[in-house]
Amino acid sequence: MNIIETKKLTKYYGKSLGIENVDLTVKEGEIFGFIGPNGAGKSTTIRTLLGLIHPTSGSATIFGRDITKFGPEINEEIGYLPSEVFYYDGMKVIDLIKYSANFYKKDSRVISKRIKELAVYLDLDLKKKIDDLSYGNKKKVGIIQGLLHEPKLIILDEPTGGLDPLMQQRFFDLLRQENKKGVTILFSSHILSEVQKLCDRVAIIKNGKIIRVDKISSLAENTHKRFKLETAVRVDKSRFTGIRGISDLVITDNSVSFLFRGRINEITKIIASLNLTNMLVEEPDLEEIFMHYYV
Amino acid sequence: MNIIFREIRAHYKGLIGWSAGMLFLVIAGMAKFSAIASGGQQAIQLFKTFPKPVLVIAGINGLDVGTAIGYFGVLYLYILLLATIHAAMIGAEIISKEERDRTSEFLYPKPISRSKIVTEKLIAAIINIIILNLITTVSSILAVSFYAKNFSNNNMILTLMIGLFIMQILFFALGSVLAGVFKNPKLPTVVATAILLVTYIIWVIVDLNSKLDFLKYVTPFKYFDASVIINDGHLDPLYIALSSVIIVIFITTTYIFFNRRDLKV
Amino acid sequence: MNIFWQELRFNRRTTIIWMVAFAFGIFSYMSLYTAFSHDVSQSMKLLQGFPPVVRAVLGIRIESFFTVLGFFGYMLTYLWLIGSIQAMNLGTGILSKEISGKTADFLLSKPISRFKVLTSKLAAALVIIIATNIVFVTASYFSAEVFKTKDFDVTVFALTCLTMLFIQLFFLSLGFLISVLVPKIKSVLAYSLPIVFGFFIIGMLDSVIGAENARYLTPFKYFDVGYIALHSAYEWRFLLTEALVVIVCVVVTYIIFTRRDIQAPV
Repeated sequence: MNIIETKKLTKYYGKSLGIENVDLTVKEGEIFGFIGPNGAGKSTTIRTLLGLIHPTSGSATIFGRDITKFGPEINEEIGYLPSEVFYYDGMKVIDLIKYSANFYKKDSRVISKRIKELAVYLDLDLKKKIDDLSYGNKKKVGIIQGLLHEPKLIILDEPTGGLDPLMQQRFFDLLRQENKKGVTILFSSHILSEVQKLCDRVAIIKNGKIIRVDKISSLAENTHKRFKLETAVRVDKSRFTGIRGISDLVITDNSVSFLFRGRINEITKIIASLNLTNMLVEEPDLEEIFMHYYV
Repeated sequence: MNIIFREIRAHYKGLIGWSAGMLFLVIAGMAKFSAIASGGQQAIQLFKTFPKPVLVIAGINGLDVGTAIGYFGVLYLYILLLATIHAAMIGAEIISKEERDRTSEFLYPKPISRSKIVTEKLIAAIINIIILNLITTVSSILAVSFYAKNFSNNNMILTLMIGLFIMQILFFALGSVLAGVFKNPKLPTVVATAILLVTYIIWVIVDLNSKLDFLKYVTPFKYFDASVIINDGHLDPLYIALSSVIIVIFITTTYIFFNRRDLKV
Repeated sequence: MNIFWQELRFNRRTTIIWMVAFAFGIFSYMSLYTAFSHDVSQSMKLLQGFPPVVRAVLGIRIESFFTVLGFFGYMLTYLWLIGSIQAMNLGTGILSKEISGKTADFLLSKPISRFKVLTSKLAAALVIIIATNIVFVTASYFSAEVFKTKDFDVTVFALTCLTMLFIQLFFLSLGFLISVLVPKIKSVLAYSLPIVFGFFIIGMLDSVIGAENARYLTPFKYFDVGYIALHSAYEWRFLLTEALVVIVCVVVTYIIFTRRDIQAPV
């Protein structure tokens, strides 16, 4: 079952483009990464899904229901954490969280128990005033208010800012636990390592358009690999001619280095025939792949 | 200079609005005078018999509304209210807005001292205040001479306008000192306008009840009471001195507190 | 109901301050009536001999001015002014604070429709205004009873007091409209004070141009204390005007708010 499905979702702000023809499918139980540079349209997509902004054209369903018609019903099962959290002046953490909890139909005792668990897990003092909290601690308030009703879909829009590495780790563990229970997660970020750590599949968005959707694992396949060979004698250039997929070839007296993209079998045969002293095949740096899409 | 220009640009639309309101007030107010003047001496006779509370509430206590200047004295109260509300708001807002709009982290780490920032902001506010005062002065002189043909007492209007200016600066200083002291950036405007209205009400009450005369030092509206100024022909030096002292204290306090304070981010 | 209660909680302190200010102000003012009522006969005689234009300018009606109701009515314009500021602050602030405080993301990602969000907030504002008016009427009635020299017409009194509610509703709904028309309201007072005073000054104008139609321009002229005293009724055409303004403001607010995009807080 598809939890999120968008069809040609388009949003213009006046004349300027937000997103165009975005087709996304997020399946039940997966952690879906949504990655792209600043201003690419990640937030626009997410805000449209949440009903905060209205699509110019196209449509989207969440849990199989149209977002423009069933906004409130859909939101019942969504937990949302934005990149920056803002709450009401003069409120205590617990007041804000209770306010948030009262919006949901779920049994209040279940929610109370959950709030306590989350607060302990994230090490947050519920009695403090929100105004007095640090950025990171405000973020924790955001996490709690987003997860307290045990949503079936968690939407995170660049959520990790302000969390220290330890807390970030805990937060990710929490998300994984939720995911194991069957919760679907849409995780937007421009930080690659986060996405790599957490997600199963990823969509890359650039200038308002989805340019690639793939598994994290297969993103790394079929891409360039860097070969660094140390040789006993100088290798003649002709050995590599006629092989497709070689680029950036540099040959010195005792080394050969090149980028290769193609059938690995072909290249290993040639390498096997060389007189090697050392060899290094570098795993493709995901960062480099993304840079390729970014620019 | 950078901040002065920025603040002036940020406030010019508001200033146009306030100026338009002031023009409207002065012209509409003086237009009403011609209606009253047609009632002539009879009206004045009647007013003299009115119980004091009526005169006070109507703002005509001690003023001869049959004369152009007396009538202008009534209008002066509304002018005062409008101009002081503007001044109090701009004083409070101009200092606190960086924290309110969460731009303090942008502005205050710039290589410029807090005192200098405050100075430039205060100068920008005072320029706004002076412009509003000039517009009021010019429109008053023109409107009075238009509706009261034989009027020649422009000096009295100028005197009243100097009083207006001191009042403006006084409430502007009040706004700024509140913005300097309060941590919550939303409070200064609210408190400044509340104080303004309360002192106005105190002014009415002091006039209503002579037992409360000692309260007259509490309310600046008493310092520049149109009826007193018009009857005396000049501003009371004591009140000018008092206002000046208060202004200096407020402005100094603004600097001291604002320099010491932890800014809200 | 969640938002409704929360709004009442948010506005609790401010509302109490307004209520106390009203009650205190009215009582102190009315306490002056005793002294005032002693020596008015002379003025009465003189005033009666006056051309109507003078009376009109001063906003005084001979028939009612020197009674306890007339005395109360005279202050009413200023009470309206204060009440308008309260209503305007409330109307402008209750919705716009979610945008300016950047809490709109939080609120609108909850499982509640915008229609309901707005309705809850409207209901809360309405309750606050009605509660303020209950205090207002009670304080007025109590003061009038304490300081009266002669009995007064309770119907006229009730109608006179209720004008406050109507004036406040006007500014409340206008405030709502402004809160959705202005993209981002940084300071509520920066809108409410100039707008209320603007209408107040327009109110000064109507007797100048003499045109009766000018009364439609400002709610401060919709209710004439003298007319109420004379007819024990409001002027229907102004009541209808007011109703029209309120309905248009509220409907447009709903339309704009349910359709508008909530931009990411920056």
